[in-house]
Amino acid sequence: MKILVIEDEAALKDSIVAYLKQEGYTCDEATDYRSALLKTASHTYACVVVDLTLPDGNGLNIVRSLKENHTDTGIIIISAKNALDDKITGLEVGADDYLTKPFHLSELNARLKSVLRRRNFNGQKVLRVGEVEVQPEAAEASVAGKPLTLTRKEYELLLYFVSNRNRVLTKESIAEYLWGDHIEMLDSLDFVYTHIKNLRRKIIEAGGQDYINTVYGLGYKFMSP
Amino acid sequence: MRVLTKTSLYYLLVSLVVFAVGGTVFYLTLREEIYDEVDDQLFTDKENIIAYIRQYDRLPNVTSGISEAIHVRKANPEKLVMEQLKDTLIFSSYDEEFIPFRQLTFTAYRQGEPYEYTIFKSVMDFEDLTESTVLAMVWIFLLLLVGLVFVNYYINKYTWRHFYGTLAKLKSYTLSQHQPLALRQSNTREFEELNQVLQSMTGKIHNDYLNLKEFTENVSHEIQTPLAIASSKLELFMQSENITEEQALLLSDMYSALNRLARLNKSLILLTRIENREFSVEERVPLHRLLQEQLAHLQEIIAMRELEVRQEELDEAYLHMNSGLADVLLQNLLNNAIKHNKPGGSIKVLLNSQKLCIRNTGDAPQDQPEKLFGRFQTGHDAVGSLGIGLALVKKICDIYGLIPKYNYTNGEHSLCIYFTK
Repeated sequence: MKILVIEDEAALKDSIVAYLKQEGYTCDEATDYRSALLKTASHTYACVVVDLTLPDGNGLNIVRSLKENHTDTGIIIISAKNALDDKITGLEVGADDYLTKPFHLSELNARLKSVLRRRNFNGQKVLRVGEVEVQPEAAEASVAGKPLTLTRKEYELLLYFVSNRNRVLTKESIAEYLWGDHIEMLDSLDFVYTHIKNLRRKIIEAGGQDYINTVYGLGYKFMSP
Repeated sequence: MRVLTKTSLYYLLVSLVVFAVGGTVFYLTLREEIYDEVDDQLFTDKENIIAYIRQYDRLPNVTSGISEAIHVRKANPEKLVMEQLKDTLIFSSYDEEFIPFRQLTFTAYRQGEPYEYTIFKSVMDFEDLTESTVLAMVWIFLLLLVGLVFVNYYINKYTWRHFYGTLAKLKSYTLSQHQPLALRQSNTREFEELNQVLQSMTGKIHNDYLNLKEFTENVSHEIQTPLAIASSKLELFMQSENITEEQALLLSDMYSALNRLARLNKSLILLTRIENREFSVEERVPLHRLLQEQLAHLQEIIAMRELEVRQEELDEAYLHMNSGLADVLLQNLLNNAIKHNKPGGSIKVLLNSQKLCIRNTGDAPQDQPEKLFGRFQTGHDAVGSLGIGLALVKKICDIYGLIPKYNYTNGEHSLCIYFTK
């Protein structure tokens, strides 16, 4: 599956590409408006990750041209501008999602997966890690065919884990994924712990193994067997 | 004291002194003149009387001169009074009061015998004259005074009008408003100079302010990208195998510090954007609904902290504002009530068409209440708090003309937002 990353900051672009490559995607890169336009014109991508502020043009134009010529391509905007108006325009023009810098790579990955799923690119309607199955369309999860009864937050947490399997997820990124960035951290880090504990218990009770590993000092990892 | 009142008062004071001194001098001069006149008349009478005696060898009729009475008695040769002027009071049975007289006593010889003559002249008429003169003076004084103060007041008011105009403009001037100070031209040189100085000064301050603001905005925006790079690199780093526990802790600390910085920066950008009034889309926001949504959103956190939420009143209330900012406002108020609470405490929510009150139990504040709305004011109990929440609340209230009020009573923090002035 081919992804195009358009980002003028080489260091950030490299990080995104590195993370996505580890996920098994094929990545193309563009650091300016012109080469981005050329690439989108000559290739078909499953999803394009585009920065709005490029040195020689506005990323919104790329979004517009993609919507005209490649209706199947998913689009995720990343921008430093944090401007509500940009977000609204971006989504109006047809972007699938919007992330403001700085963002967690794991969050970008989860959103990318969700966009791809919605766009139905490879028909992967069920996410499977070991015995755990998540069906995002129905918002349901099961372990070895046995349905899991999860709260909404627990379900979202599981989805986040499954989307980023075998990756270290920090508590901060989980908290932000679950509660958004407007919630000041409050006790959300302890909270993450509580939710993880419950999720782990529910999976084990349903007959699954313990997928959630605690990575000392860093966070958590959902291990596929 | 206003400058008009002040100058008027000084005018009054000076006029009072001038008139008091002038009046006294006038009165004394007048009196002196009158006495002089009376005395002259008395002496003339005396001459006439002596001449009359010489000629006719008898006393003249009382009415013959100006004097109103002549009193004659044999003089004691040992105590002869040659000539003596005196004031005296004589009881008038008709008026039933003492009437002031001037008397002249002298001795004249008749047939070799000394006789003491005393002639009297009433000064009543002259006193009346003095009285009416003084009265007239007082009237003139009063009229002049009123006229003076009146004219002074209006002339001053007229000449100072530009000054007051300038003052009013200055009072309503705020830096964040993007309008230059437009002062009216004055033909008074001092005021014109004042206006020019003020205009150039505010212009300069405004420019400095804009530069500073632009700088802060740019910094905030430019920081985003390096932050994104650093945070993404750290995240990649964390994915690598064989990280020791020691390194993991270092990484984790770096990561959370970076996160904190990112959140702080986002809040600052939000604050600046509110200040710049970039959220121009406004609508009728149903506060009661938003509040309930927020409470539901925070319910887990509230439950975990073992807090009890009491909705004392939750009427329908609408505000005309940006809905995103309404969210930010409520979020920060509720976050604040949760953060500065104690386990097992309570949060009371009250909403009606006049105000929104959020009260929560908690320790007494250490700072003065006014400081709470400033940036980076954090209580001692809120570890990891950015201290920017209430600054956001204040800023949002400012641009929509809402009034936030804080107080602490009976172990309860109370933060109320009043919708009307």
